[in-house]
Amino acid sequence: MDIRAYISSGIIESYVLGLASEEEVSILNCIRKNNSEVEQAIIEAEIALEDLADSQAIEMPMQLKQDIWNKLIVENLVPNEDHKIDETLVPSSTDHNDVIVMDTEKKMLVARSYKWTIAASLLLAVSIGANIFLYQRKQDTANKLNQTTSLLDAEQAKLATLQDKWALVQNPAIKTIPLKGVETKPDYLALVFWDQVSKTVYLSIEHMPVAPKGKQYQLWAMVDGKPVNAGVFPLDLKGDTASKMLDIPKAQAFAITLEDEGGKDVPTLTALCVMGSI
Amino acid sequence: MSPLHNLSEETLILLLKKKNQQAFSYLYDHYADALFGVVCRIVVSTEHAEEVIQDVFVKIWRYIDVFDAEKGRLYTWMINIARNTALDHRKSKAIVNEQKNQPLSNIVNREEEQDLSQGEQHTKADFIGFKNILDKLKPEWRILIEMAYYEGYTQQEIAEQLDVPLGTVKTRTRAAFIQLQQLLKEYR
Repeated sequence: MDIRAYISSGIIESYVLGLASEEEVSILNCIRKNNSEVEQAIIEAEIALEDLADSQAIEMPMQLKQDIWNKLIVENLVPNEDHKIDETLVPSSTDHNDVIVMDTEKKMLVARSYKWTIAASLLLAVSIGANIFLYQRKQDTANKLNQTTSLLDAEQAKLATLQDKWALVQNPAIKTIPLKGVETKPDYLALVFWDQVSKTVYLSIEHMPVAPKGKQYQLWAMVDGKPVNAGVFPLDLKGDTASKMLDIPKAQAFAITLEDEGGKDVPTLTALCVMGSI
Repeated sequence: MSPLHNLSEETLILLLKKKNQQAFSYLYDHYADALFGVVCRIVVSTEHAEEVIQDVFVKIWRYIDVFDAEKGRLYTWMINIARNTALDHRKSKAIVNEQKNQPLSNIVNREEEQDLSQGEQHTKADFIGFKNILDKLKPEWRILIEMAYYEGYTQQEIAEQLDVPLGTVKTRTRAAFIQLQQLLKEYR
């Protein structure tokens, strides 16, 4: 191909004016890659149009810079962190118009930072509110968990107690003797579990008031008409828990009196609460 | 007034692709007036020109990611965006048909009046500068640049309008460019 003739045909000028056909453009793109003369001619023609644009520049209305930037933000074409106006980026100039532009931008900057401040304050308030709410919720939950845990502990203790008693009742060697309230205390009830083999005695206070301060329930075994000390019921133990008492090899009846703390050698008969014979 | 394009195109492309405020500021400060000049000479009113130049910036911003430096110069690419956006706007306003029926000298005059009526002293001065440069071209060459560049005529259409062979339109356009390049060298 005669490159000179190709260039003189005016194809390059058609191309830079955007008037070349698709076919002409693809031929030209192919030639420019392999021919520096054509490449150079294209660049020169482009620079001519660029210089023409420079020579015929028309000053843009002042507010358009901000308008366009806002438009880019609205069209979501600016990374979020760069939405603010950074005044250090506005080129410094002694040109009067530029100064006004900067002033406008500063004002907008101030207006914007107010908006941001308000928005930030609202967000902070919402955040604090949410934190308080969530903290209270957390506290509530923690309290409920504690309550549930202690309830569970209590239930498990009860279950253990019942299982212990159940084991006693199920044991064929154990004799269960109900001790019933005396005339003045008809609703009182206690149970004695007496192992006929080991002679071990367990006492469970089923329905009797908690011993008053300074007093303690004491179990007696009636052996051949004489009361024998079978031990005091532990103060720290709940009534319905079966407590191991003293071993009693032989007895015809059991009774409980309310004695001074620590118990006595001889029962106070006026303080008799319950009794039951075998 | 000659904008100072003091960043190399390579640097500017990298800067623009960051899409930050600094990039925008630089782009605007160094190219907006020139691109606005292109737009103003194509669309009919300043009001429309302001609309179009905003679209031009949005397009540059949006498509800078797909701009291929191997296929052309950045500034030329931006000028083409400005020119095509303005021409599309003109077509959409259906003004082009109206104007095609008028004698060509009227088109040029009307546009000049349009631009001159923008009111700003600075604009007038710029415009006169521009007019002088194109006026220095041989009239039969100047008309080709005007029609092709600012009116969006194809070379076939120009050939028909001016009643000259297509080949002649092409070689004259080249001649017009060569003279324009000389004139611009003096201008710079």
